[in-house]
Amino acid sequence: MNTLSVQKLTKTFSTATGDLEILKGIDLEMTSGDSVSVTGPSGCGKSTLLYILGLLDTPTSGTYTLLEESVSGLSQDKQADIRNKEIGFIFQEHHLLPQCTVLENVLIPTIPASLDPAEKKGRAESLLEKVGMSERLNHRPGQLSGGERQRVAVCRALINEPALLLADEPTGSLDPETADGVGDLLLELAGEQQTMLLCVTHSIDLANRFSKRLDLQDGKLVDVSSS
Amino acid sequence: MSAFRLILKSLLYYWKTNFAVLLGVVAGAAVIGGALVVGDSVRESLRQLTLKRLGDVDYALESPRFFREELADEIETGSQSELIIAPALSLSSALQYEEESTKQTHRANQVGLWGVEQEFWSMIAPEEIPAPVDREIILSRQTADTLQAKLGDEISLFVELPATIPRGSLLGERDEVSQELVFSVSQILDGRTTADRFQLNPSQKLTFNAYVSLEELQVALDLAASRPSPDYPQGRPARVNSLLVKSDTRNDGDLQKSESDSSSLNQHLKDSLNFDDLQLKLRMIEDKSYVTLESRQMILDQSAESAAKQAAKELDCTTSPVLVYLANEFLNQNKPENYSLYSVIAGLDRSSLDSPPFGPPPLKSGAWPAEMGDHQIVLNSWLANDLQISPGEMIDVRWHVVGSHGELPEVEHEFEVMGIVDLSGPMDDLGLTPQLKGITDVDTYDEWDQPFDMDLNRLTQRDEDYWEGTNETKAYRATPKAFVSLKTAQKLWNSRYGDLTSYRFAPQTDELSLEEFGQRVTAEVLKAYEPQNAGLAFRPVKASGLQAAQGTTDFSALFISFSFFLILSAMILIGLLFRLGIEQRLFELGILHSVGWTDSMVKRHIVVESLIVILLGTGVGAYAAVLYADAMIYALTTRWVGAIGTSELALSLRPLSLIIGSAISIIVALGAVIWSLRQFKGLSYRAMLSGTQTEVARNASSSSSKYWAIGTGFLASLLLVLTVLGVVPDVEAFAGLSVKAVMFFVVGMLGLSCSLLSMSAWISRDEELSVQGTGETALARLSIRNASRNRSRTVLTTGLISSATFVIAAVAAGQKDPAAEGPDLYSGNGGFRLVAESSQPILPNLNTEAGRKEALEFLNQPELEDSEEMKQLLDRTEIVPFRRKPGEDASCLNPYQTTLPTVLGATSLMRERGGFTFSGVSAEKPWLLLDQEIPNDDEGLPVYPVFGDLNTLQYSLHKAIGDRIPVPNQENPRAWLEIVGTYTGSIFQGVLVASEENFLALYPDEEGYSWFLIGGPKESIDEFTSSDAEKVEDYLETGLNQYGFDVNRVQNRLDAFLTVQNTYLKTFQTLGGLGLLLGTVGLGTVMLRNVMERGGELSLLRAVGFRNRQVGRLVLLENAFLLTWGLLSGATAALLSMLPHLLSVGADVPWQSLFTLLLGVFLVGMVSSLVAVIQAIRTPVLSNLRGD
Repeated sequence: MNTLSVQKLTKTFSTATGDLEILKGIDLEMTSGDSVSVTGPSGCGKSTLLYILGLLDTPTSGTYTLLEESVSGLSQDKQADIRNKEIGFIFQEHHLLPQCTVLENVLIPTIPASLDPAEKKGRAESLLEKVGMSERLNHRPGQLSGGERQRVAVCRALINEPALLLADEPTGSLDPETADGVGDLLLELAGEQQTMLLCVTHSIDLANRFSKRLDLQDGKLVDVSSS
Repeated sequence: MSAFRLILKSLLYYWKTNFAVLLGVVAGAAVIGGALVVGDSVRESLRQLTLKRLGDVDYALESPRFFREELADEIETGSQSELIIAPALSLSSALQYEEESTKQTHRANQVGLWGVEQEFWSMIAPEEIPAPVDREIILSRQTADTLQAKLGDEISLFVELPATIPRGSLLGERDEVSQELVFSVSQILDGRTTADRFQLNPSQKLTFNAYVSLEELQVALDLAASRPSPDYPQGRPARVNSLLVKSDTRNDGDLQKSESDSSSLNQHLKDSLNFDDLQLKLRMIEDKSYVTLESRQMILDQSAESAAKQAAKELDCTTSPVLVYLANEFLNQNKPENYSLYSVIAGLDRSSLDSPPFGPPPLKSGAWPAEMGDHQIVLNSWLANDLQISPGEMIDVRWHVVGSHGELPEVEHEFEVMGIVDLSGPMDDLGLTPQLKGITDVDTYDEWDQPFDMDLNRLTQRDEDYWEGTNETKAYRATPKAFVSLKTAQKLWNSRYGDLTSYRFAPQTDELSLEEFGQRVTAEVLKAYEPQNAGLAFRPVKASGLQAAQGTTDFSALFISFSFFLILSAMILIGLLFRLGIEQRLFELGILHSVGWTDSMVKRHIVVESLIVILLGTGVGAYAAVLYADAMIYALTTRWVGAIGTSELALSLRPLSLIIGSAISIIVALGAVIWSLRQFKGLSYRAMLSGTQTEVARNASSSSSKYWAIGTGFLASLLLVLTVLGVVPDVEAFAGLSVKAVMFFVVGMLGLSCSLLSMSAWISRDEELSVQGTGETALARLSIRNASRNRSRTVLTTGLISSATFVIAAVAAGQKDPAAEGPDLYSGNGGFRLVAESSQPILPNLNTEAGRKEALEFLNQPELEDSEEMKQLLDRTEIVPFRRKPGEDASCLNPYQTTLPTVLGATSLMRERGGFTFSGVSAEKPWLLLDQEIPNDDEGLPVYPVFGDLNTLQYSLHKAIGDRIPVPNQENPRAWLEIVGTYTGSIFQGVLVASEENFLALYPDEEGYSWFLIGGPKESIDEFTSSDAEKVEDYLETGLNQYGFDVNRVQNRLDAFLTVQNTYLKTFQTLGGLGLLLGTVGLGTVMLRNVMERGGELSLLRAVGFRNRQVGRLVLLENAFLLTWGLLSGATAALLSMLPHLLSVGADVPWQSLFTLLLGVFLVGMVSSLVAVIQAIRTPVLSNLRGD
């Protein structure tokens, strides 16, 4: 059983006018198959929390245990290893490499992993087929629509079968119809792989489709699923 | 998908950026590799010129003395190797040609005159040109051009007549020093043959040479073979002074092997030498049963004396060294009417007179003490009778001494008569006095052929009887009449030529006949004689010439240092473009990190990608390096020909150099990439993912820049002050660079750094850069605000501009104009207006009317009487003579490595006058340093103090104060020259200066003066005007033309030396200009990138009502800000760091052209940003605002 546990996590930024505490003691528990959305106003620290959970940023204090291993104090290389094997990232901007084809973009996370190339390719093609992109394997990001690019980004996030999938406003730059489609896809694929899914979004519609909805208020997470 | 595939994809996708980086690498690799190729080419060209200069001549012997021509055959026969040894005469001469139609006279001075025969000629000339015969003369192209002579023209040659007895000694010949010979031009060489440039010292230039028949020259100079005579019972052999050797083994510049071969040659030489070659003779004194070793030069030189002493040890015989001198008069102090004239006085070692045949002396009265003082004398009975004197009484003795200008003042010395010996037995010995033609072999005083006036009217009958004999007495002739101790004799009649006039050997037994004993003495003396000490030694001229072709300067390093700013610009450009490329794909780095790539993986990915670009760039750069080197060689043979002084340079490629150049380029370019990558260190993954560089720009705190700026500024000021105050010593720091020159770079670099750090700190201070106000001021503030958007990029770009500006301004400020320097005692000209050299040494003192008349009389030109006006002018002219031992040209005009340059002997006149500027010498009267005594070295070799010019010492000889130079070479030094002072920017470039006394101790055979400085006396330097100089120049060149007297303006000579320096400055300036060109390309690139990055912002400005013109101006203002800062900081740093030079006399800064240049750079820089302006205006407002 994959787990994620965050306790009393804080994050403070130094500014010209003094220290600014964004996260003031976050507690969060997740297990395999959980899907959690995090909402909140702009600048409240949602993305900061997401980057800390994705090991792309470090907390000021608190503990963060992923897969029963405390990850806060790990070396950068070890953290990179965890990011590669256990965490998948989806951003608001798709961030596909323009020089690579759709298939190559999906395969980028497999480069550090020691997997059989044929196996890697098979997995990527299978994922892309699931998201309806099997006809566009050799297209470049510039030749795709916004929704298509985001679907490719989802595949890239899932290629190494991560235990934790983090999405930062994944539908923020998409039209409502496409956004719905991407939301569905995220939930469906995460469910299939029993991945812990945590999504930061402004979209209440999307947020409500997750098994749990948390709101970041004054630096703390408040469960608003029942409301 | 693999990491490598991703790299390839990225390379292709970002091809524009990569291509730009590649071009930067190509530029860097071309410059670095090109510099190495230039170095190779210069070295190889100098090597080829050496081979061309020497033709087939591998070894050479050039002696100041004449020896038997047959020596060539004897050494050739004795040698195991297949050698061809050609005898030759090598003389310095003055040539003159008078055009028949115009009566115009053309002169060529210091022409190398070679007396050649076929063997030598075939070593240096093509087969189709026959060797000169009879009165034919072959002229080198350079000589013919100077004389404007054609085939068939009659040419007058003036050569110094060989003197048997040195001219600087009492009995030396002074009346006939020069001989005019007329030859007809049979051939003019085309400038491409070895004969056109043949000389034994390394030089890249065509030389002034003339070739005549050896036999003809020997006849003309009385060096041809002659019939037997009393002096030469076997007949006198034909003589030469040079031997040129063609070796059968290929001489490929292996100096060690060649030195070993020349040692073998020298051994054969030693084995073949006889007394005729060494100017020695052994006389049998049959009646006294001894033999005496004498020199045809009258005085036994040190080598002969040492050999004689060594031989005496080997033979275990009785010996007696002798020094005789000619006394003009003996006078009884108490009875002055009793005197005797023109008698010989001998210095003898009393201990050698104890046993026969040299003693014991038949004492009549008094005593002959074992140790006689300097004022004690023994007379023979004849003289005692003449003087009517007894032991204990005093006599005066007068004799001539030889002055430095050949004058013969008379001196008087008082002696106490210690004893009187009978004129018999060992004291009746004519063998004590060496045979001297014209004196000892004549019957009467009237027949004497002496170089001084004799008062024959005062001769007494007794004097004549002594010489000529009477019915009762024999003719005693030059038998000494008086005797002093050998020590006293050597003190009173010391001579630079030697200490003895003869060395007597007597067998201890009568087992051998005197003749057989003489043969043994001869053999032992020859065995012990060291020919090289007398200048008789073969030199491996070709191997050492090829060694010297390595050059005074490492041209590879020189061109790399010249191209320093160009390389720096290329590297900054590489860094800049690379950084732009990374910034463009910052999100990619974020993505790679987010998907689990480690830092090192991401870095490796970027570095490998860059490495591929760098490798490709270096590959292309290697080819470009060849083109660049070709261009440099072209420039060095045309526009920059002054740097190396020859147009015979050719491109020479060594693969190793290209490989080394490429390797350096890769390392340097990779360094630039890694340095750029470091700028992203600390950038968060989030910042990367957002693709923003704002964080990078703000990463370093402005306060640290401020403190660094203050620190570097302070350090630069401190070093500048220390340099101006002269605290920084002007000595070599490393690789031929002076500490001052290094300071120049250090202060410049610190100044530049200070300026750039100040800029970085200033634009980062947000509170002072707030946008406010309206109109142009607000626009200007906004543009500076824009410049701070990416601080490091801004600073880098400005750094690029300022570096190139620094070079250009520094080079312009470094120019020097010797014409601006009037005669000044304490300057490079020492207050002199003229410098002169003569082909033949001049002995008389040209500062006196008598001396000038003497010099002119010698040449039978009494018609050249001084006019009254000229007399007055010459009275206020000081002609400072120097003795000269020709050596290698160590000035910057000669690119070959030199070991022993020409040495000058400065007279007391020069040392007392003083002047010139010195460096690294704290003495109040630096010239007196030449008089200091330096203890002998550990081996007992003498050490003489010398001065040299700073440039000569640093760049040619690679020596500094305190260093020693071996004479004649490192392998067999017989003395050392120690540098005790350095001139700066002086007329003495290329030579070393010793005191006259030390010079004569070092080179006793060098007669007279052949190097002169001419100007007003030091009290009235300014009164000697340029017009005066012109008149004196005409007078001396005409009056002393047969000496080959060649006068030049000191300013012109200094100007010639500066040609090299100014050419190097031009080279530096041109390469700096190329750096600036790269800088403006970089600036244009950065501005374009800025505009593209800020497309949205610029569109917004237009959306809120800014006109296109205003947006364009905004971009231009930012560009102008960067350009102005770069230009001002570069120019100011350069001028500040050149302050020591700017404050010196003769600094000649072309302010107008410098300002024009910088203005031009500003305009070119502004034009280069026009592309960015157009881009700013053309960017579609709507799509930019939508963020498409």
